[in-house]
Amino acid sequence: MDINKKNFNLFQLNTELVPKLDEMSDSDFEPASKDEKKSMVEMRRSVSYWADAHRRFRANKVSMVALYVFIFMLLFTFVGPSLIPYNYSDQYRDELKLGPFQYSEQEQRVRSLLKDNDAVYATTLIPGSLTSISAGDYYITYKRVTYAFHIDSTLADSVIILNTAAQDPLTVVTDKALKAGKSDAKALASTSAPAEGAVKLKAITYVFPHVFGTDSVGRDLMARCMYGGRVSLIVGIIAALIVLIIGATYGAVAGLAGGVTDFIMMRIVDIIYSVPDVLIVLLLQVILKDPLQKWFDTFSSTNAFVRTLSDLGVGIVSIFITFALLYWVGMSRIIRGQVLQLKQQEYVTAANALGVPNRRIIKRHLLPNCVGQLVITTCLQIPSAIFLESFLSFLGLGVSAPMASLGSLCSDALDTITIYPYRLLFPAVILTILVLSLNLIGDGLRDALDPRLKK
Amino acid sequence: MLGYTLKRVVIAILTMLLVAVITFFLMNAVPGSPFLNEKSTPQQIANANAKYGLDKPKIVQLKNYLFGYFKGDMGVSLKMQKDTAVSKIIFGQGKFTLSIRVGVWSLILAVVVGIPLGCLAAYNRGKWVDSFLRVFTTFGVAVPGFVVAALLLIIFGVQLKWLPVLSQSLSTPSAYVMPVIALAFYPSCYIAKLTRASMLDAINQDYIRTAREKGLKTGKIIFKHALRNSLIPVVTYLGPLTAGTITGGFVVETTFGIPGLGKYFISSILARDYPIIMGTTIVLAALIIIMNLVVDVVYKVIDPRISLMKAED
Amino acid sequence: MEENKLLEIKDLKVSFFTPAGEVKAVDGISYSLHENEVMGIVGESGSGKSVEAYSIIGLLQDPGRVVGGSITFDGENVLSYDKDQMRQFRGNKVSMIFQNPMTCLNPVYTIGNQLEEALTCHNKEISHKEARDRAIEMLTLVGISNAEKRITQYPHEFSGGMRQRAMIAMALICSPKLLIADEPTTALDVTIQAQILELMKSIQKKTGMSIVFITHNLGVVAEMCDRVSVMYAGHIVEQGDVNDIFYHPQHPYTKGLLRSMPRVDELKHERLIPIDGTPVDLLNPPKGCSFGPRCSSCMKVCLGKRPPMMNVGENGHTSACWLHVQEMKKEEEAKDNG
Repeated sequence: MDINKKNFNLFQLNTELVPKLDEMSDSDFEPASKDEKKSMVEMRRSVSYWADAHRRFRANKVSMVALYVFIFMLLFTFVGPSLIPYNYSDQYRDELKLGPFQYSEQEQRVRSLLKDNDAVYATTLIPGSLTSISAGDYYITYKRVTYAFHIDSTLADSVIILNTAAQDPLTVVTDKALKAGKSDAKALASTSAPAEGAVKLKAITYVFPHVFGTDSVGRDLMARCMYGGRVSLIVGIIAALIVLIIGATYGAVAGLAGGVTDFIMMRIVDIIYSVPDVLIVLLLQVILKDPLQKWFDTFSSTNAFVRTLSDLGVGIVSIFITFALLYWVGMSRIIRGQVLQLKQQEYVTAANALGVPNRRIIKRHLLPNCVGQLVITTCLQIPSAIFLESFLSFLGLGVSAPMASLGSLCSDALDTITIYPYRLLFPAVILTILVLSLNLIGDGLRDALDPRLKK
Repeated sequence: MLGYTLKRVVIAILTMLLVAVITFFLMNAVPGSPFLNEKSTPQQIANANAKYGLDKPKIVQLKNYLFGYFKGDMGVSLKMQKDTAVSKIIFGQGKFTLSIRVGVWSLILAVVVGIPLGCLAAYNRGKWVDSFLRVFTTFGVAVPGFVVAALLLIIFGVQLKWLPVLSQSLSTPSAYVMPVIALAFYPSCYIAKLTRASMLDAINQDYIRTAREKGLKTGKIIFKHALRNSLIPVVTYLGPLTAGTITGGFVVETTFGIPGLGKYFISSILARDYPIIMGTTIVLAALIIIMNLVVDVVYKVIDPRISLMKAED
Repeated sequence: MEENKLLEIKDLKVSFFTPAGEVKAVDGISYSLHENEVMGIVGESGSGKSVEAYSIIGLLQDPGRVVGGSITFDGENVLSYDKDQMRQFRGNKVSMIFQNPMTCLNPVYTIGNQLEEALTCHNKEISHKEARDRAIEMLTLVGISNAEKRITQYPHEFSGGMRQRAMIAMALICSPKLLIADEPTTALDVTIQAQILELMKSIQKKTGMSIVFITHNLGVVAEMCDRVSVMYAGHIVEQGDVNDIFYHPQHPYTKGLLRSMPRVDELKHERLIPIDGTPVDLLNPPKGCSFGPRCSSCMKVCLGKRPPMMNVGENGHTSACWLHVQEMKKEEEAKDNG
């Protein structure tokens, strides 16, 4: 075949592309310059791994909603208590067993008083058993004006009313009288300068409702839920951190060391893994109670750390110890797997070949890749710790009174569940929201940080 | 296959021994004699020591303890049912049978409900059935067990009065319904999620592409090829599931007032009745270890690739 | 030669509709295959060669879809098949083998089980024993010794080369008229590669089956194929008999591929000349000729317009390049002038 003889017939199915030779000029066939060639292609922006993961997480609507919900819960449990006038342990003698947004009789009387007056100080609304004012000097401050007065004899179950428009701004009336509808309010002489050692009384202008109601000893349920949520979260986060530190270190060391060290370390992990964890937790609860209590009693006066631990109670500390003993194994396996994988990656071999020292390899190459797994596993560890803690508290083995956790709140509510179902409902819902949002955030992180996962 | 099974049995026995020894040492780590309190007279202390062999060295105690258990002697209760044999308390008073019944039924329910739901979700991926199931199961694994139990109690026991509230002896079948459902709720949601995820994973594998290339019917591809591979993680989960069912049982028995072993165990912990605590721990641990053994053997039947050491990866 | 055209692909277009946009994996390709013919499809990763094969056998999955063109097999329009027809077609009239034999077999079933299944799903009346015998026969055919015992073994007991042989046996068990081989030797050792290629060649000669052989390795093409289609960025840039392609390549890309291949038979110590640049981003293909940015002969017309497919020789040797149009123009002008 004559290689120079070419049959230039048009072999074209798509007739649109058929060029008309006369329509083409010589200039069409001039060579293209480098720049012209470059302009043919738009380069896609290259995105860093973290920016890409960040974008993917943000695109995941469910995880973003979960994140916002979780942030709200954080605010609820940590900032909330400063926003409401009740706390978790104050018992309001006359406000027992209230339903959500329900006011007690005394509170209702005060509310009606507040309609016509400026401020009120009611002994019936004071927490604790001391619902009376003994004789002495006191003062009330309202809109920067001080009203100082003196009480001759103990006032029990009484209400001090402040009406700036009346002739006698301060009056006193007994709760009994209010209840009966009589209005024998006695005037209280007041001056603008408080006497020496006068005690300030905080008058209220508005009766804050018990949003979740109260329990059978008059404690505000919402405050207890906020507090309980705080305890649950703290326990969860600390437990997760314990697991992270112990597990990640152990796993990284085992993975890097390799050989016999790795083998032994992993066999130890296998043994720990096969021990039934909940049983050990329960056993530890029993065993540690007395020694820990003794330790607390001896040292809590001197050591602030011990004091906080003793506030948390034996139950919680036992949980931490159990986590430190048993629960880190999962994390160590994952991290070891990561380290092994990365050790074999070519860029580590390359770095080694270039003479980069081991510590640098860990810092620059291994850690950033492990961080993803670390974050995900830790994030998912928190809800399981919260779960465990609430389970134990529910059974009576976790936090001890007066401290409350969401689990113990549920347990308390169980007795009166048929009459006051909301007492179980509120802590249960809060607990579920906490666990759910953390799980969803963890899932979202996993999807965002692991590029190999197909949708 | 036989060699593999034997190896697993040996490991199970060793683990059991390990748990027994750990339990013994933990119990003995409590300062002060577990059998007496501060008010005992020296004579009482001497009697107790002689009776329980507490004056002998620890190793001998351990030996007596282990042999005793081997023979079925778990000691006697010291507080809750004074001087009754622990083995009688656990096995002879119907507690163990009760708990086993509820537990087994809930396991069966969880598997029978969870796996098909997971397959359903995977098969209908993206459609509303799948979305609904995903949302439901995500909630299901976030709600604590005691909440589920309590909710069931309120709604079906109290408000609607469909089912009996107090399940004292579980004499009627209807008394089983709520506790079993409460106990099976979390596992069925978890199994459904697990099945769905592993089915989707299996469907993306190359051998499924081969099966499609061969011209197999879709049903056959899913039920023959995908399902068997995706059951592997589910079978693995059965081990932790047993442990979870036992601990979940504590909660369910407490909530529904069922006089089973779990409830008794918790009471014995609160009462610090050590022989009962030890005996029950051994029994429960044995259940978990046996179940893990069964799972390992079934695993090998399903997946011919597995050897003794689980793939570490 | 229209009569025994086994497979005809006309202007096939396949796109993937991803969240990032439409990826035109195959943008209008055409070729035909006769009985007893081996067609090689050559190209880099991302050229679309596997995608078009998947669309022949109906294995294309979301988000990929055929968006234009036709595929005709044995006179029938494959793209119009419903699910049942497709199932009868796959594994029976057309079979496919894939790149990675390690993952293509189901690990929990025996080799025999999977082989027999390939047969029984198309042949319902066959007895268990007959199916088993045929499976043993096929394993022996592909060179696996002791087939009777091997039938009861699991995939993890087979080596990589043996698994690929088993895959071939599975693909051939229904005596298909066409075998699509998607880089079947790429993942294997060089010596095993040679054995598998030998095996395929001998089976092809014996049975007269047609093969579409997809690869990026020109050496394999030279050994196995009768005709070759060179693909780049979803287009066929050159097509022809294997000798024409190797000895008289016309398209700059083909020339570049041949230049970058290390040749044992060259006596001169020449430098390997790689092709400049990087593969195409199919989300953002260049306007005009897709090979333009990497082509040393790129002209101004190549920047904006896709080159037409031109006959550049005999026996259906075609190539899509503006250089040929330039030559044609020069010839016309020469003719006009004298």
